[in-house]
Amino acid sequence: MSGAVRDASHVWRRLSVSSRIRTYRRYDYVLVAAALCLSLLGAVLVWSSTRVSAGNSGDPLTFFKKHLINLLIGLVLCLIASRISHRLVRAYAPILYLLSVAGLLAVLTGLGVTNNGAQSWIQVSGFTLQPSEFVKIAIIVICATLLAEKRDAENRPANIMILISLLVAAVPVLLILAQPDLGTVLMILSTLLAIIAISGVSKWWLIGLVGSAVASVFLVFGLGLLAQHQIDRFTAFLNPNADPLGVSYNVNQAEIAIGSGGLFGNGLFQGTQTAGQFVPEQRTDFIFSVAGEELGFFGSSMILLLLLLIVWRLMAIANRAEDLFGRLVAIGVASWIGFQSFQNIGMNLELLPVTGVPLPFVSLGGSSMMALWIGIGVILNLDATKSNRQG
Amino acid sequence: MSQLLESAIHDSGKFRKKSVGRLTFAAFIVFGVFLIYAIQLFKIQAVDASELAQEGFEARIREVVVPAMRGSITDVNGIVLATTVPAFNVTADQTKVIKPKETAKLLAPILKLDSSELASKLVGEKKFTFVARAVTPQVWAAVAELELPGIFSEKTTRRVYPYGDLAGNILGFTGIDGHGLEGLESSLESQLGGKDGLMIFEGGAAGRKIPATDSRTEQAVSGNGARLSIDRDLQYIAQQAIAQKVKEANAAWGTVVVLEPSTGRVLAMATAPTVNPADPGAINKDSRKNVAVTDVFEPGSTGKLLTFAAALEEKVITPLSKLTIPPTLKRPGKVFKDHSPHGTLKLTANGVLAQSSNIGTIMIAEKLPKEEILYDYFVKFGIGQPTGLNFSGESNGLLRKPSDWSQTTYPTMAFGQGYSITSLQMASVFATIANDGVRMPVSIVDGFTQGDGTFIPTSPKPGIRVVSAETASTLRLMLESVVGPDGTAPTAQINGYRVAGKTGTAQRADSACGCYQGFTASFIGMAPANNPQIVVAVTLQDPKNGRYGGVLGGPVFKEVATFALQKMRAMPQPGKIAKIPTTWGK
Repeated sequence: MSGAVRDASHVWRRLSVSSRIRTYRRYDYVLVAAALCLSLLGAVLVWSSTRVSAGNSGDPLTFFKKHLINLLIGLVLCLIASRISHRLVRAYAPILYLLSVAGLLAVLTGLGVTNNGAQSWIQVSGFTLQPSEFVKIAIIVICATLLAEKRDAENRPANIMILISLLVAAVPVLLILAQPDLGTVLMILSTLLAIIAISGVSKWWLIGLVGSAVASVFLVFGLGLLAQHQIDRFTAFLNPNADPLGVSYNVNQAEIAIGSGGLFGNGLFQGTQTAGQFVPEQRTDFIFSVAGEELGFFGSSMILLLLLLIVWRLMAIANRAEDLFGRLVAIGVASWIGFQSFQNIGMNLELLPVTGVPLPFVSLGGSSMMALWIGIGVILNLDATKSNRQG
Repeated sequence: MSQLLESAIHDSGKFRKKSVGRLTFAAFIVFGVFLIYAIQLFKIQAVDASELAQEGFEARIREVVVPAMRGSITDVNGIVLATTVPAFNVTADQTKVIKPKETAKLLAPILKLDSSELASKLVGEKKFTFVARAVTPQVWAAVAELELPGIFSEKTTRRVYPYGDLAGNILGFTGIDGHGLEGLESSLESQLGGKDGLMIFEGGAAGRKIPATDSRTEQAVSGNGARLSIDRDLQYIAQQAIAQKVKEANAAWGTVVVLEPSTGRVLAMATAPTVNPADPGAINKDSRKNVAVTDVFEPGSTGKLLTFAAALEEKVITPLSKLTIPPTLKRPGKVFKDHSPHGTLKLTANGVLAQSSNIGTIMIAEKLPKEEILYDYFVKFGIGQPTGLNFSGESNGLLRKPSDWSQTTYPTMAFGQGYSITSLQMASVFATIANDGVRMPVSIVDGFTQGDGTFIPTSPKPGIRVVSAETASTLRLMLESVVGPDGTAPTAQINGYRVAGKTGTAQRADSACGCYQGFTASFIGMAPANNPQIVVAVTLQDPKNGRYGGVLGGPVFKEVATFALQKMRAMPQPGKIAKIPTTWGK
């Protein structure tokens, strides 16, 4: 009873102006600033990589503006998310989850749009949305909810909860595999593993999960379940010079662009490889190569450092979270941004095979940008609304 | 209750330790990955940077040939026979074509191509492919108006022949790259072609120049225009006349060569069949060449002129020399006959020529003190020698040296067999007689127009004296008998003008069987006979309907020569047909 009274008074307090200002003050502005820097840098790099092609058919600023609009929507969504109590988020997690799964189902129906061999988009009155981006935040929230449930007296999450989390994640993962978008699946599975690991399960769970992941990789290859473009990408990764005008073309051209930048870069808008449109998908998956060519080692290192800063701040928030849910959501978002950056930059640097995942905040892509800023918003809220005792 | 909850939320003890431990572990992984990435980034951007930059530069650098504007070819009056106009290649980026079938359906009627064939060109992964080459700016404008995705154009040029197949055998044609393949387009390539320019630039993936990069351009130099000695109208008449006759006679081919004797200039050179330079693929390969200079044949009776010229010049005969012609003439290795059987005839030398007696001509040749003398005349007349025209595929003919002769060679050569010539070479022999015994090397190009408009005439080559003016004029008088009532070609007479000429009906040497099979019928004439302004040589190879040069060649000569004389406004000289006796002793 007293808990309910307390909750009611809490809600009442949150409506007062002074508390709202106090909440704003407690936001992690370093995190916000880093994400904003990356987003704005992304806008400029998108501009540079598209000004020639877009200029041929009209406004050279088309994609620059698009990126800024995406950012603006993202910031608004972030603000809204940061104002919603994470307790509310926790309560509505199942609905969020079901909505995003419905989106994935829509992709596989007549609404779906195919691009580069993957049917990952839905078209809604002129907009294309990529539901798999929103699924990421939905899975993080629902799994954190499940694993943090009924932990009053126990040290470890119940095995049943881990199984339920895995099942809950399996549905969207299978739907995304059907698109097929292996990169997103890998990123989701890694995030899930991170959440489960930090939730404090026994090490045998972790060994089992990693083991079965490795086993399924062999199974997938053995049963020939991969699409041709995925096999080609792996072949190209293992032997980059096998087919220089085919699959390895992207990677080779990206490497040439990055290498051409040298230590100091050719200068913004001065990238010849970029202006010559040599790197396909440069404004999305290969945006890092623009930074490499035009901003050089020092400029592209800045992107690495900003991403590291974001991941570090998120991990710090996870560390100081007042409850397990908050900790797991924070670690989930950290893992999401970290692993996706790891995948994206890895393929740009020829360290990983090509998977079509965007570079967080930097790549052009509305769904990715919005989902990321929602994630940041949720984190801001749970960090800022910790009880005073902790702050 | 709430206190309990609070303490439970802030988990502690063993569990928290484990969680923090794993978080720390994760942090180490994050920093580890960051470090690896930073090292790899440094490797690419510092260690391998210059190598990669060079690789990129080499892939970007492009050389594009800027085709030079090809010079025009005009007739003697400056009427354009071949010229080059701007055109467009219609190209496609197959990856950008959205609806290949619909696109093809829209394009097909404009480009006049088959729709389904066109559709197959639009499907695939090629970033660049040709849809149609060298279409007119109007056609491209119609295509561009459709705004079809994936359909592009590139600038090119197109060779245009305003009069279709007129002089096609002379002009020849160009290949898809715009350079000459046959005819004058080929042999005048160094003049017409100009010098292609070169553009060196840094190109993007789509091939276009990357903005704000350096480039270097070597300007293209336009080719010179060529002005021919050919007269368009005369060429047209000659071409029509020979085409008609080849059809009537069902001949393998026919030629008409019109020369100006005083200069050796070719005024017309028609062949049937001939090629349409705009569409050389429409006929088979053999019909695309200029048979008037590429194909050789044994001249037959027209070659008797050479024997008579030698004999008159060497003064072993006069037109009135009396000869007794036996029905047959036995010589080592062969018995020679005339084209129609006869008893013993009493002919003058003039009669031998007029009636084209092989036996009489052999007897005259044998009056020459040495066989080599006839050979020397042959060489001076240009037999077996290059004409100097340098036409693509031109043949020099075949004249064997006396040392290679057999027993029958000399008598055979005397009446025009046993050696071979082209239509043009034979016309030149008659032009030499027409030009009072001086052979003017033949030419077909009067000069070239430079880029700045100055006309540089071809320097005339000096003539070669073959026989005296007197011999030449005597021969012309004798040749007038050929078109007279007793001659072999009364069909060649032209009202109001004196005509001199000679028929030829030679056995055709067939390389397929290595034997004689069929005939080569010819008539070569000149007018006006007293002061010839034109020589017209008509040749029909392997006619199936009719065989005699007078019957087949005469009317063609008459039609072409009449037109030429009227066009040249040559003064008619009626009534004065020379009469030299053809027989004696009656």
